[in-house]
Amino acid sequence: MSRVKATKVEKKGNSREKAGIVSFHLRCAKTANGLTHFVMYGDVPRKKMPL
Amino acid sequence: MLPGPFKRFKPFKSFRQLKRVGFLSGLNGLNGLNKLKHYQSRRETSMRENQRNLSFIDLDAGWKLALDPENLFWSVIPKEDGRFLLPEGLIDLYKREKRHLDEEMYNFRFNEPLNCIYIDPTDRCNANCPYCYIPSDIRKGGTQMTGEQLDTVMQKIIEYFRDFKKKPVIVFHAAEPLLVKDIIFDAIRRYHRRLLFGIQTNALLLQKEDIEFIKKYRVGVGISLDAPEVDINNRSRTTTRRNGNYEKAVQAIEWFNGYEGLNVISTVTKYNVHHLADHVKFLHKKKVPVVLLNPVRVTQKPALRLKPDERVFARSLIDAVETAMRLTRESGRQIVVGNFANVILAIVSPTARRMMCDISPCGGGRTFLTITANGDMLPCGEFTGFREFSGGNIFKTSIEKAMRSKPFRAVRARMVEKIEECNTCDYRHICGSPCPAEMYGRGNMYRKAEFCEFYKEIIKYAFKCLAEGKIKYLLRKDAMDQMVFEYRY
Repeated sequence: MSRVKATKVEKKGNSREKAGIVSFHLRCAKTANGLTHFVMYGDVPRKKMPL
Repeated sequence: MLPGPFKRFKPFKSFRQLKRVGFLSGLNGLNGLNKLKHYQSRRETSMRENQRNLSFIDLDAGWKLALDPENLFWSVIPKEDGRFLLPEGLIDLYKREKRHLDEEMYNFRFNEPLNCIYIDPTDRCNANCPYCYIPSDIRKGGTQMTGEQLDTVMQKIIEYFRDFKKKPVIVFHAAEPLLVKDIIFDAIRRYHRRLLFGIQTNALLLQKEDIEFIKKYRVGVGISLDAPEVDINNRSRTTTRRNGNYEKAVQAIEWFNGYEGLNVISTVTKYNVHHLADHVKFLHKKKVPVVLLNPVRVTQKPALRLKPDERVFARSLIDAVETAMRLTRESGRQIVVGNFANVILAIVSPTARRMMCDISPCGGGRTFLTITANGDMLPCGEFTGFREFSGGNIFKTSIEKAMRSKPFRAVRARMVEKIEECNTCDYRHICGSPCPAEMYGRGNMYRKAEFCEFYKEIIKYAFKCLAEGKIKYLLRKDAMDQMVFEYRY
């Protein structure tokens, strides 16, 4: 099985929206698995953002 | 840690077997689990492997779901020419991935390390929410940590995680942590290089200069706000002066101005259940990136009368998710319904889940724990009213000992396999049957989830969203960037 970046495949997937059977499985590559249920879906990026 | 060396998880054969291995006898969960594993490895290996199969579930007239409930291999199958056809290739994929998915699920359930500590630096609160899981006598007259005590706690946490590769998350949580703002800000200043921080607050004491501080140290912040209208919000988010937190919470959200570490936590009750979509619209306008629309926990008796009708709640949440997707599509700025995103993650990437309530055993006393103001270590803050679940006091003992304590083992031993109805439910590893503290409060930890029907509706809807290719609107953008496909069909 090839490991493909999710975002790239997602773009391909747009044309398959009604294509039929759907089944896939993703692996979290960077974040700690189930790190916390507070900081949701990715830690707060360390870089600053403009206020 | 639960349990020792890695072994492949074999599904439990029956409730009776659990009883036979002594798994249902009170607080002997860890011992019972080891016995159970031994038992299974002797008796069940080949038989279960050969017998286990996919379940087929009707999602609606046009879609069928094929699902292995044990490892969450899933596939949504459309009706074609009036029939549902399961191609040979999909079965081959299932056979090929089954072992890997079994292992992944087993490890996630039993070998995930502690990675988050909730600290309640004060028992007191300036609010009086009717559904609070902390009994009112504790909130009125409870203790508060001193700066020195908090520093001792931080040192013990650092010691525990010394050899861990990933930074743990420290969340300052209930009652209202900003009542001791000085000491928690001081702790963040001192330890931000070694730990990640979060604060959960009702915002009543938040000041503009605090926002600068929170952003500077990249602290995750959750603000409690139940509804987009003052009258509805203030019925449940009541302050001790009999007002509510609406004005202060909205002001704080505006001050944060789209900060990536902000989320809004809303407790869904019968008061606000009909207003969830409006709430999403309101928060999207205020640039809030994540909102959690969590069912009220009925751990304490007064909360029970606020429980919304489950089907009404399911319909309303679906409406809120549809609204969030539409707004995200139209504006290009995301708002994610966090608890629904967690259901999506549970299906497509179970180990990437962020909320650890909907996995069995839950994360309480396993991937997170709570330290109360007097130093008691509890599996979860939800147990604050039940001090018999204390795994020891951090000022007298260690986190290691608390993790090995009987109460912690008892919570880890509560698994869907031992809960009637859940043990045969196809969605048992998606909802996880929360929550042990809530069910303990209701008289029996081994009762099924209070919101069982709600979860079933929501999970079916989640599969339909996946079938329709909507995942990109449902998870935070950076969550998708961090994931890779292991397989796809």
